[in-house]
Formats: sequence, structure tokens, C-alpha cells
Amino acid sequence: MIEPAPGFHGEYKMPGGKLVQVDFNIENGRLCDVEVSGDFFLYPEEALAGIVSALDGSAADLETGVRAGMIAAAIPAGTEWLGSSPDGLALAVERALQVHD
Amino acid sequence: MEPWVLLPLEPATPVMNMALDEELTLRVGAGDRPPTIRFWGWSAGCIVLGRFQSVRNEVQIERAAELNVEIVRRISGGGAMFIEPEGAITYSLYAPAAIAQGLSFAESYAFFDSWVIAALRSLGIDAWYAPLNDITSTNGKIGGAAQARRGGAILHHTTMAYQMNVPLMTQVLRIGQEKLSDKGIRSADKRVAPLLQQTSLPRETIIQHMIAEFADRTDLRTGTVTAEEMAGAEERARDRFATDDWRYILP
Repeated sequence: MIEPAPGFHGEYKMPGGKLVQVDFNIENGRLCDVEVSGDFFLYPEEALAGIVSALDGSAADLETGVRAGMIAAAIPAGTEWLGSSPDGLALAVERALQVHD
Repeated sequence: MEPWVLLPLEPATPVMNMALDEELTLRVGAGDRPPTIRFWGWSAGCIVLGRFQSVRNEVQIERAAELNVEIVRRISGGGAMFIEPEGAITYSLYAPAAIAQGLSFAESYAFFDSWVIAALRSLGIDAWYAPLNDITSTNGKIGGAAQARRGGAILHHTTMAYQMNVPLMTQVLRIGQEKLSDKGIRSADKRVAPLLQQTSLPRETIIQHMIAEFADRTDLRTGTVTAEEMAGAEERARDRFATDDWRYILP
């Protein structure tokens, strides 16, 4: 039922916004087992799968700005993401990686 | 004035409260029922997670199990709540999306709770709306709203703290520091100001007052959940909301 938490965990809360959390593992220099969670709002909720797929398999050593761009590109037009953003999620990934430096 | 139906407070299990929200939202979206407001009754305490929250990041899972606190997940985003049956005032609005036409998603949050702010202020509570989704006061946060959109309808539901069991809440929820980083306050209990700290009125009286305020702004009639809707909600509860697939959709 509950699988062990992945090894990397990062969070970021935009000022005045919501918390975004990311959990993942790294294999061969790439992110895997990615989970994105938090108390944000996302419409439609199915957009979460696209956000996760932008991170899953991506290189761990990407620059944060590049990663944010990849996340943004994976979000279909018309999606409303309230309380967080591609930049916020990319920062959460950066923080997760820093903890392990 | 817009015709609305009031579903008075009726205790339901945590899972059924989740299921009723989805069922009634879809019924309003399909045009099968008029815009509807429901006050929730709780037959048991629970933790309600937002749609996008991870169970292990939000809940002290073992402690919750030991204390017999059920974990449920709602269809809307937003944050975790620790509920005790008499400790909260929760209501849902089910409205055709057209009601919020011309408003941004963010603006619609304040729009759907404007009557509550008026009701609280007339009870002498200095309350206001703090975007995106908080009802707050000079003493601290009172409650929070969340919305889901389904099949042409908007579900807007809000939980306000009436009385909080902080020691129990902090045993079952994880309250991280990052969440509080822009609030300048360290402990979870300090950032919430339950209604009972701000008024001596019983919970029931506050709810009656809220209904009166809502009735002033709408053509409000009392109704019931139909047998068909109840059966639909029971099916959703069984097939989805009570399952671990849904509960742990974000583990």
C-alpha cells in the first residue's frame, strides 16, 4: 500500500502561494519515480501527468531555468495552475538535489 | 433572484461526504438539479487531503492508524484538514460554471465566499477574504476554500475551524516549515483562529446565521438529496473514494 519514499525530496512555496513538493530517485544521471504533490490547485487535474512526465527521465544536471522551461512546455494551453508554477517546481527539484550534494 | 436549493446538515461518513460532492456537482452540471448549497455533517473525525497531496508527506500515517483517524481524499486541490465532527463548519456550493462567467479562477474563490464574509462580519467577527482561498481575521486564519470543476459545474467547498484540537492535529498531520516560511509564524496552532475564539455562539447558531445571509441573496428553498443521487454517491464511495487506489493516488 505505502511504498518507501523515493530518496530525493524537495519543496518550494511561492511567496503568497502554495507548497509544491517533489519526490524522485536518480538512475544513470536521470530522474525517475517522480511524484509531484502539494496543496496547489490545477485545472484540469489530468495536467499533473504532463508535469510529471516532463521531469521523469530528464537529466539530473539540467539548469533550473531549462528544467522550468521543459515543465512549462508540458502543460497544455488552457491549464490553470494556481499557487505554484513551472519555476516553483524546478526550484523544488534544485533543492532536492542540493540536499544530496 | 437566482433559485438555489439548501441541503440541511445531515451527518455522513467522511467517504460519503467526498462522494456526495462529486455526485451533486455532476447533477448540477447536467442540469438535473438547480444550484445547491450543502452544509456537511460528519459522523466521524478524519483527515481530508487535497487532490494533489501526498499521503506520506502530509500524514503521520502510523499515528493516524493508532488513533483510528481515517484518511480520505477530496476531488479538489488545496491543503490537508484535520476534522472533528463538531469542530468544523463545512459547506459546499454546486453551481453551473456560467454563474462565475467573466471571473478568473482566482476571482471566483472570493466570489463564492463573499456571503460568508458578510455573515461573519455581522456576527462581530472582523473577517475578510485573503486570496487565493483563505477566510481570515485579525486574530488569524478561520478557514480555507477549494474548488473543482466537473462537467460544466463548479464545486466550491469551504471548511472553517470552529474549535480545534491542536494537540491531536499535530500528532496526525505533518506541518512542514516550508509551508510556514512566508507567514513568519512557526507553530500551526498560532496561524489558525477558530470561530469559538472569536465568538461564544454555538456552531449551530453560526450555521443558521450563514443560511439566513445566503437566503437574503438568493431565492433559497430547502430540498433533499434524491434517492437516485444517494445511490450514485454510494456507488462512488464504494468504487472510488473508499479505495486505496484513490486514497494513495499520490502515496
